[in-house]
Amino acid sequence: MLAIETTGLTKHFGPDIRAVDGIDLRVEEGEIFGFLGQNGSGKTTTVRMLTTLLRPTAGTARVAGVDVLANPGEVRRRVGVALQEVGLDELQTGRELLTLQGRLFGLAPREAKERAARLLEVVTLTEAADRPIRGYSGGMKRRLDLACALVHGPRVVFLDEPTTGLDPITREAVWQYVRELNREQGVTFFLTTQYLEEADRLADTVAIMDRGRVVAEGSPAALKAAIGSDVVTLAFAGEGEAARAAAALERFEGVQRVVRAEAEVAVYLPNGATAVAAIVRLLDDAGAPAESLMLKHPTLDDVFLRATGHHLEEGAPAAAAAPGRGGSR
Amino acid sequence: MNGLVATWLLTLRALRESVRQPANEAANAFIPLFFYVVTVGAVGSVAREAFGVADYKGFQLPVAVLQGAAGVASGAGLALTLDIQSGYFEKLALTSTPRLAIVLGRMLADAVKAVILGAGIVVLAVLYGSGFATGAAGVVVLLGATFGFALAYSGIGVAIALRTGSPQAAQAGFIIFFPLLFLAPTFAPVEVFAPWLEAVARVNPVTYILVGMRTLVTEGWDAAALARGGIAVLAVGAVTLTLTLLALRSRVRQ
Repeated sequence: MLAIETTGLTKHFGPDIRAVDGIDLRVEEGEIFGFLGQNGSGKTTTVRMLTTLLRPTAGTARVAGVDVLANPGEVRRRVGVALQEVGLDELQTGRELLTLQGRLFGLAPREAKERAARLLEVVTLTEAADRPIRGYSGGMKRRLDLACALVHGPRVVFLDEPTTGLDPITREAVWQYVRELNREQGVTFFLTTQYLEEADRLADTVAIMDRGRVVAEGSPAALKAAIGSDVVTLAFAGEGEAARAAAALERFEGVQRVVRAEAEVAVYLPNGATAVAAIVRLLDDAGAPAESLMLKHPTLDDVFLRATGHHLEEGAPAAAAAPGRGGSR
Repeated sequence: MNGLVATWLLTLRALRESVRQPANEAANAFIPLFFYVVTVGAVGSVAREAFGVADYKGFQLPVAVLQGAAGVASGAGLALTLDIQSGYFEKLALTSTPRLAIVLGRMLADAVKAVILGAGIVVLAVLYGSGFATGAAGVVVLLGATFGFALAYSGIGVAIALRTGSPQAAQAGFIIFFPLLFLAPTFAPVEVFAPWLEAVARVNPVTYILVGMRTLVTEGWDAAALARGGIAVLAVGAVTLTLTLLALRSRVRQ
């Protein structure tokens, strides 16, 4: 059974802004689905439509087997949501907030209290549970927000950039908990993120969103394999040099694809190691010597660049960003 | 989720919030008591000769109660904007609870607070020397009217909050009450008003609410006055609740 299914899902804000432009998604039950895209690509708008906070302009969507337009109340009962902005009542204590949230989802008083206690333990907030939330750190609030999304035991959970602003340790803890819930209870996660590592490590399937459209979809491994080649990333002194280099590299033997992003050029080709020397010579001859060169296996950033023509974090140079994302050799 | 249970839970949450911010409630209590004492001090000694009111402390008591109720009830809109701005409103809207419960919880909490404040004002006014012609039963009716008025009045701020999400705009809801209060027989009976003011007062719903409450304090049981007051509360409530529902619909169905 599909946990999430959309057909031509569309949201326009006025006549000019097509925030989401007819997307088709199929998320299997028990899957962790990563929704990758820049700010403004339409990820959050999609989540807001799927969780009944926004009405689609066109298209259909079913979540947990329920039509979001026909029966939004039932959709809300079946899903958990942690939005990008942590939405908490800071005058309540963590325990009060979680218990109230459980009660509003229809849990009996005792069950709501027990769930709240268990979740506070899971997100390591037991000690702070009876203090007002206004005294919590950003990470504590994020963890509490995540617990709120899970308090009624939903089968489908939407996490909109759940680890943005978290320190690495807390981020790892959140990932661990998501994995556990997914593995042990079969909870489906729809996770939007700007972090490639998050998508790569957590998601079974990744969809790349760009300007309101899904431009690539598949498992991280399959998406990287689809590039089918090594990636040589070259940085140049300026965009003019990069443009000349890209034109020259288009004619290089064996090149599958050349993508230029500002003063960088990514070249996709098999057996990159054997081609590096020839590429350097070609660029020298073209009057566009590279300032730096990196050879690596494809990463999700390469997938993203290839699918969208730009990096996930706009302006982040590939040569500078790539080492931390693995695979250089 | 049962809407009534959800409304009750959210009312309790809003009341708990008030307990944790006592300064807000102290201000809501201080303003009407201050105006009450000052007005009685300024006008009380000449009220009988000027416009035939023997018990001016009793005459002013419903004004203080209504003023307190309006002050308290303007808090619902402000609190709702804070929920909207913090994102908590969306968190509540994402539960399976009926969304009307989210705003009704706030409004009911303010109505409960208005009753508590009203009871306090009555006690203090009686200790200060005011009479209460209809006794304990009359106090109950007066507090019931206070509950209805506060519930109806809070709808103004709530509707503005839902429509704009702006705390400043929601607070401006209180300003609506002041002209209505002063265009009613607040300081003197309507019979001594200038003709133009009397004409305005006679179409002002606050006049009927105030007069209905006042008869309980100064005259005794007057079914006609109470009925007119009740109808005025229901009319204001019907308007503000409609505005609230429309604003809620517009906010949650974007």
